Amino acid sequence: MRAYECVYILDPSLEELAVKEKTEKFKEIVTSRGGTVRKVDLWGKRKLAYPIAKRFEGSYILMSFDGDNEILGELNRVYRFDDMVLRHLIVIDDNPVTEQPAVSAGENEE
Amino acid sequence: MAKASSKVKKKKEKRTTNKPCRFCADKLSINYKDEALLRRFITDRGKITPRRITGTCARHQRALAHAIKRARSIAILPFVKIYYR
Repeated sequence: MRAYECVYILDPSLEELAVKEKTEKFKEIVTSRGGTVRKVDLWGKRKLAYPIAKRFEGSYILMSFDGDNEILGELNRVYRFDDMVLRHLIVIDDNPVTEQPAVSAGENEE
Repeated sequence: MAKASSKVKKKKEKRTTNKPCRFCADKLSINYKDEALLRRFITDRGKITPRRITGTCARHQRALAHAIKRARSIAILPFVKIYYR
């Protein structure tokens, strides 16, 4: 197990609810394979530094998690085949923050 | 005459004084998500500024270049900036 950090960009045309759904889906991929999600951070819509697939902005989502090789492979595969994901980047988290998991998600449930 | 000599002196000083590496001096950490910080180390064309200009030490320049490249891949920073005429 190792700490990873993953940033992905979703299509800007997705509604807020659809974005939530997507993030849950990607969380599920990690948790169903024995990983733990530390934090999911929605940065919201921001302008892209250069256009990707003719889009000029995108919704950024940061997910930090603990996982292994199998999870990475699956995540990479899913991201690649998902048309709504414009870009993704998975890197090793150098100084993982131990935080209460998914603070923002907890707020929404209440 | 006096002006000329001061100019020469200034040049010499510039060559000898070491600019401190900002990351060493302020104990800043380099992160590919920190757009505001990384923007200070690229030119307005989007190129990575060389070490001799920014005064960054070798170790931090390496980390910086790595972070900038990561930031470029997720469209936080541009690869090139296109100027429209």
